Amino acid sequence: MNEENLSILALIMNASVLVQAVMVILLVASVMSWVMIVQRGLFLSNAQTSFRLFEDTFWSGIDLADYYHELTERAKEVGVTDGIDNVFRAGFREFSRLSQSDKADPDAVMEGTDRAMRVALSREDEKLSINLPFLASVASVSPYIGLFGTVWGIMNSFRGLAMVQQATLATVAPGISEALIATAMGLFAAIPAVIAYNRYAAKVEALNSSYETFSDEFSSILHRQVHSR
Amino acid sequence: MRDSLSYGIGILFSLTVHGLVLWALVIGWQPMTQQVVIQPQYIEAKLVQLAPKKKVVKNLKKPSSNAAQKKREKQKRLENEKRKEQARKERRRKAEDDRKEQERLTAEKKRLEEAERQRQLIETEFADAIAAEQSLINAQEDEIAANSYRQLIQRRLSENWNRPPSARREMETTIRLQLVPTGRIVGVTVLKSSGDAAFDRSVEQAAFKAGQFIELQSMSPVLFEKKFRQVDVAFSPQDLRL
Repeated sequence: MNEENLSILALIMNASVLVQAVMVILLVASVMSWVMIVQRGLFLSNAQTSFRLFEDTFWSGIDLADYYHELTERAKEVGVTDGIDNVFRAGFREFSRLSQSDKADPDAVMEGTDRAMRVALSREDEKLSINLPFLASVASVSPYIGLFGTVWGIMNSFRGLAMVQQATLATVAPGISEALIATAMGLFAAIPAVIAYNRYAAKVEALNSSYETFSDEFSSILHRQVHSR
Repeated sequence: MRDSLSYGIGILFSLTVHGLVLWALVIGWQPMTQQVVIQPQYIEAKLVQLAPKKKVVKNLKKPSSNAAQKKREKQKRLENEKRKEQARKERRRKAEDDRKEQERLTAEKKRLEEAERQRQLIETEFADAIAAEQSLINAQEDEIAANSYRQLIQRRLSENWNRPPSARREMETTIRLQLVPTGRIVGVTVLKSSGDAAFDRSVEQAAFKAGQFIELQSMSPVLFEKKFRQVDVAFSPQDLRL
């Protein structure tokens, strides 16, 4: 009994089945949340840089029709496009289609364009905030899961203590130690998830509002064009 | 396409991070428990005792070698005498008297007896010295062992002692414990009361709670009979302020 191996592997191997299950759940949650963290981080920084590039080009005084064609060509090449390009292309496509018909009512043209841009905006919003709910749930739930494992482990080790005649610290200490590993793992999974969730939520919020601002500006340009005819 | 790439990077990064953390934990978490070694203190004391013992024995051996030398010298002398005597005998075989012969023989006998007695005297002296030395060493060792047992009893009793609130610093109660060789306390009598009944009772209770000193079973019976059949213990709360 005194020769007990207290290395972390031995502790995990000696833990009860439930505690081990909790540890496995937490490990999986941690791995997945890190996948999400990296993936979201790359995606959001991509979206930010592409938005900045787009705005720079858009306000540089380029001809909108040319820019639309250029972007469409690029979209065809790459296959999928994300971000503000889609909003702009959806709006411009709808606008040119509607204004090409001869008896187009300017208000109807603007209404159709706005609707198309709103749809594209909500699609982009969805794309931006994908996976964020997963991070949020890992952040809020994994400490509880870890705590559950710990409480269960400590409960068991105290129950074992009740059966022993001569109770020493050494009879409970390994059990408590192995139980506390569950809490540690819960926190290990939760802390990065909390940080990443807060950061990414703020980024998504900022991007969304910039998209909306842009679509309003674009819509006002188109509005001017329609009504000046 | 870009999505799958970023997911791939994410998976790779995540697995690397977790692998590193696990590796660090498995490698870096070495339990420190093997290094704690508690040595019983009386071993040191015994080692210190060894040196003077050797010295004393050496001192005692010197006279013994002297004695042996003397003995040898005496034997040599005796042989010489014998040879001389024989030569004399041969030289004056005819002239020698029976009376002279008798005289010489008795003288020789006397001398031999004297030598033998001296040798025995030296030997007994030596043995006595060694015995005295051994008993001294034994007594010292006994004293050391007894001290460690006394400390044990003291510690066990003070662990079991619950002082009453009426305890004051100048109070002192001496009790006599009657022990049996199994280490069990078979009797407690108050030799000197502190004057406070509750205090005396708490001291008695401490002795009863301690019950048995199992470690005393490993003591040599002689030492037990000599020092631990009856043990007097004084209780005094030195750490109190009042």
